[in-house]
Amino acid sequence: MKITALLVLKCNPDGSDPVVLATAMDVSHFGYFQRSSVKEFILFVARTVGKRTPPGQRQSVQHEEYKVHSYNRNGLCVMGFMDDHYPVRSSFSLLNQVLDEYQKNFGESWRTAQADNMQPWPYLNEALNKYQDPAEADKLLKIQRELDETKIILHKTIDSVLARGEKLDSLVEKSSDLSAASQMFYKQAKKTNQCCTIL
Amino acid sequence: MASPYRDRTAEFRSLSQTLKKIGGATTAVDQPNNSFVSPKPPNPASSRSEFNKKASRIGLGIHEASQKIARLAKLAKRSSMFDDPIVEIQELTALIKDDITALNMALSDLQTLQNLEIVEGNYSQDRVVHSTTVCDDLKSKLMGATKELQDVLTTRTENIKAHESRKQIFSANALRDSPFRQHAQPVTEPPPWSSPVNASESSQPSALPPGGVQVGNQLRRRPAVDNAPSHHMEMSMLQQVVPRQENYSQSRAVALHNVESTITELGGIFTHLATMVAQQGELAIRIDDNMDESLANVEGARNALLRHLNQISSNRWLMIKIFAVIIFFLTVFMFFVA
Repeated sequence: MKITALLVLKCNPDGSDPVVLATAMDVSHFGYFQRSSVKEFILFVARTVGKRTPPGQRQSVQHEEYKVHSYNRNGLCVMGFMDDHYPVRSSFSLLNQVLDEYQKNFGESWRTAQADNMQPWPYLNEALNKYQDPAEADKLLKIQRELDETKIILHKTIDSVLARGEKLDSLVEKSSDLSAASQMFYKQAKKTNQCCTIL
Repeated sequence: MASPYRDRTAEFRSLSQTLKKIGGATTAVDQPNNSFVSPKPPNPASSRSEFNKKASRIGLGIHEASQKIARLAKLAKRSSMFDDPIVEIQELTALIKDDITALNMALSDLQTLQNLEIVEGNYSQDRVVHSTTVCDDLKSKLMGATKELQDVLTTRTENIKAHESRKQIFSANALRDSPFRQHAQPVTEPPPWSSPVNASESSQPSALPPGGVQVGNQLRRRPAVDNAPSHHMEMSMLQQVVPRQENYSQSRAVALHNVESTITELGGIFTHLATMVAQQGELAIRIDDNMDESLANVEGARNALLRHLNQISSNRWLMIKIFAVIIFFLTVFMFFVA
């Protein structure tokens, strides 16, 4: 479950090529010599999908072993390249977060951008690293996971409580035996010592 | 689907017949009986029958829609590689969609009409229950029809995917630009069922071998040609838009539901745990009582034994004294006899 790239593009509604605003890519699992071409490839795919995502739309495209998720909001388009196992919902919530962060940081300045902006945006790189695990991005997933763990723990607790109950049962038996035995002992002691008083 | 109501018209009819006969026997009862029977036909005829008419119309519409869906299902199943009745399927789907939306509106109108009627006339409880049951029944039937439609469209998309994969396997290269352009149209949010249909229409033009049979990965061919990447990207982008059965918000709703149910389960488990611990607390108290009892017994026994021990040990002094006295008397007897 990994994210290969996150990109922010500016999409023009008139259908011309989108302008790349920020990128973060993790191509470490490709061989050294293919890395640059993979980056080119990612940029190209991003441009194409961005061009075809109408504003206010979410879209997921399957491409070989990757899924490309894109979310276009008022001309600002954010895209993520994830593998098939990454849950779709988490990816879209991640894209939402990135979008909000970008708008907070850069305001409206992106609207005037015309050329590809290749400066790294540290937040995006951090996000790429942090959100390799989908639970980080999607609170719902995290909550569900924790709840499942809690449920497992509770099941174990209940099992141990049941064992405790059994032990307590045996203790009850033993203690009632003990009290009966001590009663017998008391009676016996009284009986044997009653005849000796004569002597 | 078992209907939540039973049809008791026959019973009602027989009952009214008997009542009429009874009313015919005694004239005194006749009047109220007649007036009982006669207001019934004209009153319901006016307002309630409107409700009934609408309900029956909606039911008919739903039935027709489900028939159309069955036809669509047959078509979708039948579609083979080369003579896809695409146009027909699309027309049918659009028609069914329109029908369903119209039925939805009619159903909501019916609901408002029923609420209005309930407010206006103080109808008997039975009538209210009847109308609510009718509404619910129609709603559930409509939902069932919609679900069937979705299933049909899912099967259709799967079919198309299978076709595409087969074409990929058997066809050669040369992807054009045009199929690529028409590809990325699809996926509009509101009608989730239109996406498979759109995917179908966009993949049809690519019936021409969409090749770029990227059996291996692009990495292999990449170093080969420098200019090739652009072609390859086009070729390899068999944009099979992931057919989403549930769109984004629906999936979130489902996840929230799951979380909620998990939390309720957890609450149940906690209560269970609490009851078990309480029961075991009782057990512990019993054990405690038993131990106290046995402690008391053993204490008593010890005390008794100690007392008697003391007595016996004190007795020994007396015994020595008694023996001494006896020996003294024996010696005295010896002196006197011998």
